[in-house]
Amino acid sequence: MRRVLALFAVIVTAILLQSTVFSQLRLLGVRPELLYLVTIVIALQEGPNEGALIGFTCGLAQDMLLDQPMGITALTLTLLGYAVGMARQYIVSPSPLVPTVVVAIATALGVAFYEIVTFLLGQFEAGVTYAVKVALLTALYNAVLTPILAPLLRRIVEGSRPRRVVRL
Amino acid sequence: MAARSGPRNTRLLVVGLVVVSLAIITVDYREGDSGPLADMGRAARTFMAPLQEAVTNATRPVGDFFSGVAHLPSLARENADLKAEIADLQARIAATSQVAAQNQNLQNLLDLQQSLRPPSVPAVVIANGMSNLNYSITIDRGSNDGVQKNDPVVTGSQDGARLVGIVVAVTPISADVRLLIDEGFSVPGRLATSGETGLVVGNGDQDLTMQDIPANTKFPSGSATESVFTITYQIGDQQSRFPPNILIGTVSAVVQGVQPDAQVSVRPAVDFSSLETVLVLQTAGSSG
Repeated sequence: MRRVLALFAVIVTAILLQSTVFSQLRLLGVRPELLYLVTIVIALQEGPNEGALIGFTCGLAQDMLLDQPMGITALTLTLLGYAVGMARQYIVSPSPLVPTVVVAIATALGVAFYEIVTFLLGQFEAGVTYAVKVALLTALYNAVLTPILAPLLRRIVEGSRPRRVVRL
Repeated sequence: MAARSGPRNTRLLVVGLVVVSLAIITVDYREGDSGPLADMGRAARTFMAPLQEAVTNATRPVGDFFSGVAHLPSLARENADLKAEIADLQARIAATSQVAAQNQNLQNLLDLQQSLRPPSVPAVVIANGMSNLNYSITIDRGSNDGVQKNDPVVTGSQDGARLVGIVVAVTPISADVRLLIDEGFSVPGRLATSGETGLVVGNGDQDLTMQDIPANTKFPSGSATESVFTITYQIGDQQSRFPPNILIGTVSAVVQGVQPDAQVSVRPAVDFSSLETVLVLQTAGSSG
Protein backbone atom coordinates (compact mmCIF):
# COMPACT_ATOMS: atom_id res chain seq x y z
CA MET A 1 0.00 0.00 0.00
CA ARG A 2 2.78 2.34 0.95
CA ARG A 3 4.53 1.51 -2.29
CA VAL A 4 1.44 2.17 -4.38
CA LEU A 5 1.02 5.57 -2.73
CA ALA A 6 4.70 6.41 -3.21
CA LEU A 7 4.58 5.51 -6.91
CA PHE A 8 1.29 7.40 -7.33
CA ALA A 9 2.97 10.49 -5.87
CA VAL A 10 5.95 10.03 -8.19
CA ILE A 11 3.69 9.80 -11.27
CA VAL A 12 1.56 12.81 -10.31
CA THR A 13 4.70 14.86 -9.61
CA ALA A 14 6.24 13.85 -12.93
CA ILE A 15 3.10 14.83 -14.85
CA LEU A 16 2.86 18.14 -12.98
CA LEU A 17 6.48 19.06 -13.65
CA GLN A 18 6.28 18.06 -17.29
CA SER A 19 3.13 20.09 -17.99
CA THR A 20 4.22 23.21 -16.09
CA VAL A 21 7.86 23.84 -15.19
CA PHE A 22 9.51 21.78 -17.93
CA SER A 23 7.21 23.09 -20.64
CA GLN A 24 8.80 26.49 -19.93
CA LEU A 25 12.25 24.97 -19.61
CA ARG A 26 12.72 23.53 -23.05
CA LEU A 27 15.88 22.32 -24.69
CA LEU A 28 15.80 23.67 -28.27
CA GLY A 29 12.03 23.55 -28.17
CA VAL A 30 11.74 20.06 -26.70
CA ARG A 31 10.68 19.10 -23.18
CA PRO A 32 11.82 15.97 -21.34
CA GLU A 33 9.61 12.88 -21.05
CA LEU A 34 9.68 12.38 -17.30
CA LEU A 35 7.38 9.35 -17.29
CA TYR A 36 9.72 7.57 -19.71
CA LEU A 37 12.55 8.39 -17.33
CA VAL A 38 10.63 7.07 -14.30
CA THR A 39 9.77 3.84 -16.15
CA ILE A 40 13.32 3.25 -17.34
CA VAL A 41 14.98 3.94 -13.98
CA ILE A 42 12.55 1.74 -12.05
CA ALA A 43 12.78 -1.06 -14.65
CA LEU A 44 16.57 -0.90 -14.43
CA GLN A 45 16.34 -1.14 -10.67
CA GLU A 46 13.56 -3.69 -10.22
CA GLY A 47 13.53 -5.86 -13.33
CA PRO A 48 11.08 -6.67 -16.14
CA ASN A 49 8.06 -7.49 -13.99
CA GLU A 50 7.93 -4.20 -12.14
CA GLY A 51 9.17 -2.43 -15.24
CA ALA A 52 6.20 -3.52 -17.32
CA LEU A 53 3.73 -2.70 -14.53
CA ILE A 54 5.09 0.75 -13.75
CA GLY A 55 5.39 1.44 -17.49
CA PHE A 56 1.75 0.59 -18.08
CA THR A 57 0.66 2.75 -15.13
CA CYS A 58 2.82 5.74 -16.13
CA GLY A 59 1.68 5.42 -19.74
CA LEU A 60 -2.00 5.28 -18.88
CA ALA A 61 -1.62 8.29 -16.59
CA GLN A 62 0.03 10.31 -19.37
CA ASP A 63 -2.53 9.13 -21.94
CA MET A 64 -5.37 10.54 -19.90
CA LEU A 65 -3.93 14.04 -20.25
CA LEU A 66 -3.01 13.84 -23.93
CA ASP A 67 -5.19 14.81 -26.84
CA GLN A 68 -4.51 11.47 -28.56
CA PRO A 69 -6.25 8.09 -28.52
CA MET A 70 -5.64 6.66 -25.05
CA GLY A 71 -3.43 3.62 -24.63
CA ILE A 72 -0.57 4.46 -27.00
CA THR A 73 1.77 5.66 -24.26
CA ALA A 74 0.64 2.75 -22.06
CA LEU A 75 1.61 0.32 -24.82
CA THR A 76 4.94 2.08 -25.41
CA LEU A 77 5.96 2.22 -21.77
CA THR A 78 4.83 -1.35 -20.97
CA LEU A 79 7.15 -2.66 -23.67
CA LEU A 80 9.89 -0.18 -22.72
CA GLY A 81 9.77 -1.15 -19.03
CA TYR A 82 9.85 -4.84 -19.90
CA ALA A 83 12.68 -4.42 -22.42
CA VAL A 84 14.84 -2.36 -20.06
CA GLY A 85 14.17 -4.83 -17.23
CA MET A 86 15.25 -7.71 -19.48
CA ALA A 87 18.31 -5.84 -20.75
CA ARG A 88 19.43 -5.34 -17.16
CA GLN A 89 20.94 -8.81 -16.95
CA TYR A 90 23.28 -8.07 -19.86
CA ILE A 91 24.70 -4.95 -18.26
CA VAL A 92 27.84 -5.95 -16.41
CA SER A 93 29.58 -2.59 -16.14
CA PRO A 94 29.56 -1.13 -12.63
CA SER A 95 30.01 2.36 -14.09
CA PRO A 96 27.83 5.08 -12.53
CA LEU A 97 27.14 6.25 -16.08
CA VAL A 98 25.04 3.14 -16.81
CA PRO A 99 21.64 4.67 -15.88
CA THR A 100 22.35 7.79 -17.95
CA VAL A 101 23.32 5.81 -21.04
CA VAL A 102 20.40 3.40 -20.67
CA VAL A 103 17.95 6.29 -20.20
CA ALA A 104 19.29 8.01 -23.31
CA ILE A 105 19.04 4.95 -25.56
CA ALA A 106 15.73 3.72 -24.15
CA THR A 107 14.09 7.17 -24.34
CA ALA A 108 15.10 7.59 -27.99
CA LEU A 109 13.73 4.13 -28.85
CA GLY A 110 10.58 4.68 -26.79
CA VAL A 111 9.77 8.05 -28.35
CA ALA A 112 10.45 6.64 -31.84
CA PHE A 113 8.11 3.71 -31.12
CA TYR A 114 5.43 6.09 -29.89
CA GLU A 115 5.79 8.24 -33.01
CA ILE A 116 5.52 5.19 -35.27
CA VAL A 117 2.36 3.95 -33.53
CA THR A 118 0.70 7.41 -33.70
CA PHE A 119 1.71 7.58 -37.38
CA LEU A 120 0.14 4.17 -38.07
CA LEU A 121 -3.05 5.35 -36.37
CA GLY A 122 -3.07 8.44 -38.60
CA GLN A 123 -2.56 10.79 -35.65
CA PHE A 124 0.94 11.97 -36.49
CA GLU A 125 0.98 15.26 -38.40
CA ALA A 126 4.62 16.39 -38.16
CA GLY A 127 7.39 15.46 -40.59
CA VAL A 128 10.14 12.86 -40.30
CA THR A 129 12.84 15.44 -39.50
CA TYR A 130 10.82 16.76 -36.61
CA ALA A 131 10.14 13.22 -35.35
CA VAL A 132 13.86 12.39 -35.34
CA LYS A 133 14.72 15.71 -33.71
CA VAL A 134 12.18 15.14 -30.94
CA ALA A 135 13.39 11.58 -30.28
CA LEU A 136 17.06 12.60 -30.06
CA LEU A 137 16.57 15.80 -28.05
CA THR A 138 14.18 14.13 -25.61
CA ALA A 139 16.75 11.37 -25.11
CA LEU A 140 19.47 13.96 -24.47
CA TYR A 141 17.30 15.96 -22.07
CA ASN A 142 16.25 12.82 -20.15
CA ALA A 143 19.89 11.72 -19.96
CA VAL A 144 20.90 15.09 -18.52
CA LEU A 145 18.18 14.80 -15.86
CA THR A 146 19.06 11.20 -14.94
CA PRO A 147 21.99 11.90 -12.57
CA ILE A 148 19.70 14.25 -10.63
CA LEU A 149 16.46 12.26 -10.63
CA ALA A 150 17.62 8.62 -10.68
CA PRO A 151 19.12 8.56 -7.14
CA LEU A 152 15.97 10.24 -5.83
CA LEU A 153 13.72 7.70 -7.55
CA ARG A 154 15.90 4.84 -6.36
CA ARG A 155 15.59 6.03 -2.78
CA ILE A 156 11.80 6.26 -3.06
CA VAL A 157 11.59 2.76 -4.56
CA GLU A 158 13.95 1.26 -1.97
CA GLY A 159 12.26 3.09 0.91
CA SER A 160 8.80 1.88 -0.02
CA ARG A 161 9.77 -1.73 -0.70
CA PRO A 162 7.56 -4.20 1.25
CA ARG A 163 9.32 -5.17 4.44
CA ARG A 164 10.93 -8.60 4.56
CA VAL A 165 9.74 -11.07 7.19
CA VAL A 166 11.76 -10.51 10.32
CA ARG A 167 13.46 -13.68 11.57
CA LEU A 168 14.10 -14.00 15.26
CA MET B 1 2.70 -8.46 -4.23
CA ALA B 2 4.60 -11.28 -5.86
CA ALA B 3 8.17 -10.13 -5.47
CA ARG B 4 9.69 -13.19 -7.10
CA SER B 5 8.03 -14.37 -10.24
CA GLY B 6 9.50 -16.47 -12.99
CA PRO B 7 10.19 -15.29 -16.52
CA ARG B 8 7.10 -17.15 -17.65
CA ASN B 9 4.83 -15.13 -15.37
CA THR B 10 6.54 -11.93 -16.42
CA ARG B 11 5.96 -12.74 -20.05
CA LEU B 12 2.28 -13.43 -19.34
CA LEU B 13 2.03 -10.12 -17.49
CA VAL B 14 3.57 -8.20 -20.39
CA VAL B 15 1.36 -9.89 -22.96
CA GLY B 16 -1.63 -9.11 -20.75
CA LEU B 17 -0.71 -5.45 -20.39
CA VAL B 18 -0.05 -5.11 -24.12
CA VAL B 19 -3.45 -6.61 -24.90
CA VAL B 20 -5.10 -4.24 -22.43
CA SER B 21 -3.26 -1.27 -24.02
CA LEU B 22 -4.38 -2.31 -27.51
CA ALA B 23 -7.94 -2.73 -26.25
CA ILE B 24 -7.84 0.76 -24.73
CA ILE B 25 -6.51 2.26 -27.97
CA THR B 26 -9.23 0.55 -30.01
CA VAL B 27 -12.09 1.38 -27.65
CA ASP B 28 -11.01 5.00 -27.19
CA TYR B 29 -10.50 5.42 -30.94
CA ARG B 30 -14.03 4.22 -31.62
CA GLU B 31 -15.85 5.94 -28.81
CA GLY B 32 -14.23 9.34 -29.11
CA ASP B 33 -15.65 11.76 -26.57
CA SER B 34 -18.48 9.72 -25.14
CA GLY B 35 -17.12 6.50 -23.64
CA PRO B 36 -16.10 5.52 -20.13
CA LEU B 37 -12.45 6.05 -21.10
CA ALA B 38 -13.16 9.65 -22.05
CA ASP B 39 -14.85 10.06 -18.66
CA MET B 40 -11.73 8.67 -16.98
CA GLY B 41 -9.62 11.14 -18.92
CA ARG B 42 -11.88 14.00 -17.86
CA ALA B 43 -11.67 12.87 -14.24
CA ALA B 44 -7.87 12.78 -14.43
CA ARG B 45 -7.72 16.26 -15.95
CA THR B 46 -10.13 17.58 -13.33
CA PHE B 47 -7.89 16.09 -10.64
CA MET B 48 -4.74 17.59 -12.15
CA ALA B 49 -6.07 21.09 -12.95
CA PRO B 50 -5.92 22.58 -9.41
CA LEU B 51 -2.44 21.08 -8.92
CA GLN B 52 -1.22 22.47 -12.23
CA GLU B 53 -2.66 25.86 -11.34
CA ALA B 54 -0.86 25.85 -7.99
CA VAL B 55 2.47 24.81 -9.50
CA THR B 56 2.18 27.36 -12.31
CA ASN B 57 1.38 30.17 -9.88
CA ALA B 58 4.27 29.18 -7.65
CA THR B 59 6.84 28.73 -10.39
CA ARG B 60 5.92 31.36 -12.95
CA PRO B 61 8.83 33.72 -12.09
CA VAL B 62 11.23 30.76 -12.00
CA GLY B 63 9.90 29.40 -15.27
CA ASP B 64 10.32 32.79 -16.90
CA PHE B 65 13.91 33.02 -15.69
CA PHE B 66 14.81 29.56 -16.94
CA SER B 67 13.01 29.96 -20.24
CA GLY B 68 15.31 32.93 -20.76
CA VAL B 69 18.34 30.76 -20.08
CA ALA B 70 17.07 27.90 -22.21
CA HIS B 71 16.63 30.20 -25.19
CA LEU B 72 20.21 31.42 -24.92
CA PRO B 73 21.34 30.56 -28.49
CA SER B 74 18.54 32.56 -30.04
CA LEU B 75 19.10 35.34 -27.52
CA ALA B 76 22.69 35.62 -28.65
CA ARG B 77 21.51 36.07 -32.21
CA GLU B 78 19.17 38.81 -31.13
CA ASN B 79 21.92 40.56 -29.20
CA ALA B 80 22.75 42.98 -31.99
CA ASP B 81 19.15 44.04 -32.43
CA LEU B 82 18.68 44.40 -28.71
CA LYS B 83 21.68 46.69 -28.29
CA ALA B 84 20.01 49.18 -30.58
CA GLU B 85 16.98 49.13 -28.36
CA ILE B 86 18.82 49.57 -25.08
CA ALA B 87 18.83 53.37 -25.19
CA ASP B 88 15.14 53.41 -25.81
CA LEU B 89 14.46 50.87 -23.10
CA GLN B 90 16.52 52.57 -20.41
CA ALA B 91 14.16 55.50 -20.47
CA ARG B 92 11.27 53.18 -19.82
CA ILE B 93 12.81 50.93 -17.18
CA ALA B 94 11.90 53.20 -14.30
CA ALA B 95 8.28 53.25 -15.27
CA THR B 96 7.98 49.59 -16.07
CA SER B 97 7.28 46.96 -13.47
CA GLN B 98 5.86 43.52 -13.78
CA VAL B 99 2.68 44.55 -12.04
CA ALA B 100 2.14 47.42 -14.43
CA ALA B 101 2.70 45.14 -17.39
CA GLN B 102 0.30 42.56 -16.07
CA ASN B 103 -2.24 45.25 -15.31
CA GLN B 104 -1.92 46.50 -18.88
CA ASN B 105 -2.28 43.00 -20.17
CA LEU B 106 -5.50 42.43 -18.25
CA GLN B 107 -6.80 45.89 -19.18
CA ASN B 108 -6.18 45.05 -22.84
CA LEU B 109 -8.08 41.80 -22.47
CA LEU B 110 -10.92 43.65 -20.74
CA ASP B 111 -11.10 46.21 -23.55
CA LEU B 112 -11.04 43.40 -26.06
CA GLN B 113 -13.69 41.46 -24.17
CA GLN B 114 -16.01 44.47 -24.21
CA SER B 115 -15.47 45.04 -27.91
CA LEU B 116 -16.07 41.43 -28.93
CA ARG B 117 -19.39 40.42 -30.35
CA PRO B 118 -19.73 36.86 -29.03
CA PRO B 119 -19.65 36.75 -25.22
CA SER B 120 -16.30 35.66 -23.88
CA VAL B 121 -14.75 34.21 -20.73
CA PRO B 122 -11.33 35.34 -19.48
CA ALA B 123 -9.02 32.51 -18.44
CA VAL B 124 -5.53 31.98 -17.06
CA VAL B 125 -3.08 29.50 -18.60
CA ILE B 126 -2.30 26.85 -15.96
CA ALA B 127 -0.30 24.28 -17.94
CA ASN B 128 1.37 23.85 -21.31
CA GLY B 129 0.43 20.37 -22.44
CA MET B 130 2.30 17.11 -21.94
CA SER B 131 3.64 16.13 -25.33
CA ASN B 132 6.38 17.24 -27.69
CA LEU B 133 4.21 16.28 -30.65
CA ASN B 134 1.18 18.39 -29.80
CA TYR B 135 1.03 22.06 -28.95
CA SER B 136 -1.64 22.72 -26.36
CA ILE B 137 -2.31 24.68 -23.20
CA THR B 138 -4.63 24.11 -20.25
CA ILE B 139 -6.73 27.01 -18.97
CA ASP B 140 -8.50 27.45 -15.64
CA ARG B 141 -12.05 27.75 -17.02
CA GLY B 142 -14.27 24.83 -17.96
CA SER B 143 -17.86 23.82 -18.58
CA ASN B 144 -18.90 25.39 -15.24
CA ASP B 145 -18.04 28.77 -16.78
CA GLY B 146 -19.70 28.02 -20.10
CA VAL B 147 -16.62 26.93 -22.01
CA GLN B 148 -17.44 24.33 -24.68
CA LYS B 149 -15.53 22.17 -27.08
CA ASN B 150 -14.65 24.03 -30.34
CA ASP B 151 -14.80 27.48 -28.75
CA PRO B 152 -12.17 29.77 -30.33
CA VAL B 153 -9.56 31.20 -27.94
CA VAL B 154 -8.01 34.64 -28.50
CA THR B 155 -5.85 37.22 -26.80
CA GLY B 156 -4.91 40.81 -27.65
CA SER B 157 -6.15 44.30 -26.91
CA GLN B 158 -8.90 46.60 -28.09
CA ASP B 159 -6.98 47.09 -31.35
CA GLY B 160 -7.99 43.61 -32.26
CA ALA B 161 -8.18 40.00 -31.26
CA ARG B 162 -5.30 37.64 -32.01
CA LEU B 163 -6.00 33.97 -32.55
CA VAL B 164 -4.58 31.54 -29.96
CA GLY B 165 -6.35 28.28 -30.77
CA ILE B 166 -9.45 26.21 -30.21
CA VAL B 167 -10.87 24.31 -27.23
CA VAL B 168 -10.48 20.54 -27.76
CA ALA B 169 -11.35 19.08 -24.35
CA VAL B 170 -13.37 20.38 -21.43
CA THR B 171 -13.71 19.40 -17.78
CA PRO B 172 -15.96 21.24 -15.30
CA ILE B 173 -13.03 23.35 -14.05
CA SER B 174 -10.49 23.40 -16.89
CA ALA B 175 -10.15 23.15 -20.66
CA ASP B 176 -7.43 22.09 -23.08
CA VAL B 177 -6.76 24.41 -26.00
CA ARG B 178 -5.04 23.25 -29.19
CA LEU B 179 -2.74 26.03 -30.27
CA LEU B 180 -2.65 27.62 -33.71
CA ILE B 181 0.89 26.24 -34.21
CA ASP B 182 -0.14 22.59 -33.64
CA GLU B 183 0.32 20.42 -36.73
CA GLY B 184 -3.28 19.30 -36.51
CA PHE B 185 -4.65 22.86 -36.55
CA SER B 186 -6.09 24.57 -39.60
CA VAL B 187 -8.13 27.73 -40.04
CA PRO B 188 -9.38 29.52 -43.16
CA GLY B 189 -7.63 32.89 -43.53
CA ARG B 190 -7.80 36.03 -45.69
CA LEU B 191 -4.90 38.21 -46.80
CA ALA B 192 -5.63 41.79 -45.74
CA THR B 193 -4.62 43.75 -48.87
CA SER B 194 -5.46 41.36 -51.70
CA GLY B 195 -8.43 39.73 -50.04
CA GLU B 196 -7.36 36.30 -51.29
CA THR B 197 -8.31 33.40 -49.05
CA GLY B 198 -6.54 30.17 -48.19
CA LEU B 199 -6.10 27.56 -45.51
CA VAL B 200 -3.66 28.36 -42.69
CA VAL B 201 -2.15 25.26 -41.06
CA GLY B 202 0.14 24.84 -38.05
CA ASN B 203 3.77 23.78 -38.42
CA GLY B 204 4.99 23.24 -34.88
CA ASP B 205 7.89 25.49 -34.01
CA GLN B 206 8.08 26.78 -37.62
CA ASP B 207 5.91 29.58 -38.99
CA LEU B 208 2.39 28.70 -40.12
CA THR B 209 1.74 27.84 -43.76
CA MET B 210 -1.06 29.43 -45.77
CA GLN B 211 -2.01 27.19 -48.69
CA ASP B 212 -4.22 27.33 -51.76
CA ILE B 213 -3.89 31.01 -52.55
CA PRO B 214 -3.79 32.01 -56.25
CA ALA B 215 -0.25 32.13 -57.66
CA ASN B 216 -0.68 35.65 -59.04
CA THR B 217 -1.56 37.13 -55.65
CA LYS B 218 0.08 40.54 -55.13
CA PHE B 219 1.88 41.23 -51.87
CA PRO B 220 2.78 44.66 -50.50
CA SER B 221 6.37 45.47 -51.41
CA GLY B 222 9.19 46.79 -49.24
CA SER B 223 8.84 46.78 -45.50
CA ALA B 224 5.04 46.83 -45.48
CA THR B 225 3.62 43.72 -43.87
CA GLU B 226 0.67 41.70 -45.00
CA SER B 227 -1.67 40.52 -42.27
CA VAL B 228 -3.83 37.40 -42.29
CA PHE B 229 -7.27 37.40 -40.66
CA THR B 230 -9.90 34.76 -40.01
CA ILE B 231 -13.00 34.61 -42.21
CA THR B 232 -16.42 33.10 -41.82
CA TYR B 233 -17.86 30.77 -44.37
CA GLN B 234 -20.70 28.37 -44.72
CA ILE B 235 -20.63 25.27 -46.84
CA GLY B 236 -23.91 23.43 -46.70
CA ASP B 237 -24.81 23.30 -43.04
CA GLN B 238 -21.17 23.33 -42.00
CA GLN B 239 -20.28 26.69 -40.55
CA SER B 240 -16.82 27.98 -39.70
CA ARG B 241 -15.80 27.87 -36.07
CA PHE B 242 -14.11 31.25 -35.99
CA PRO B 243 -15.65 34.72 -35.98
CA PRO B 244 -14.26 36.97 -38.75
CA ASN B 245 -11.38 39.45 -38.47
CA ILE B 246 -9.32 37.83 -35.76
CA LEU B 247 -5.64 38.44 -36.56
CA ILE B 248 -3.85 35.14 -37.25
CA GLY B 249 -0.42 36.56 -38.11
CA THR B 250 1.67 38.39 -40.66
CA VAL B 251 3.20 37.02 -43.85
CA SER B 252 6.89 36.30 -43.27
CA ALA B 253 7.89 34.67 -46.56
CA VAL B 254 6.38 33.93 -49.95
CA VAL B 255 7.14 30.48 -51.35
CA GLN B 256 7.13 30.58 -55.14
CA GLY B 257 6.00 27.10 -55.91
CA VAL B 258 5.58 25.48 -59.31
CA GLN B 259 1.99 24.53 -58.55
CA PRO B 260 -0.89 26.69 -59.73
CA ASP B 261 -1.40 27.71 -56.12
CA ALA B 262 1.07 29.74 -54.10
CA GLN B 263 2.06 29.21 -50.50
CA VAL B 264 3.17 31.73 -47.89
CA SER B 265 4.66 31.45 -44.41
CA VAL B 266 2.74 33.25 -41.71
CA ARG B 267 4.29 34.30 -38.40
CA PRO B 268 1.69 33.94 -35.61
CA ALA B 269 0.54 37.22 -34.03
CA VAL B 270 0.73 35.65 -30.57
CA ASP B 271 3.95 34.89 -28.67
CA PHE B 272 3.04 31.46 -27.33
CA SER B 273 6.03 31.21 -25.01
CA SER B 274 4.78 34.03 -22.80
CA LEU B 275 1.04 33.47 -22.98
CA GLU B 276 -0.58 33.92 -19.54
CA THR B 277 -4.14 35.13 -20.05
CA VAL B 278 -6.64 34.44 -22.84
CA LEU B 279 -10.29 34.94 -23.75
CA VAL B 280 -12.57 32.07 -24.74
CA LEU B 281 -15.22 33.13 -27.27
CA GLN B 282 -18.50 31.35 -26.65
CA THR B 283 -19.52 30.60 -30.18
CA ALA B 284 -19.51 26.82 -30.23
CA GLY B 285 -23.07 26.51 -28.97
CA SER B 286 -24.40 27.50 -32.39
CA SER B 287 -22.04 25.60 -34.67
CA GLY B 288 -19.84 22.55 -34.77
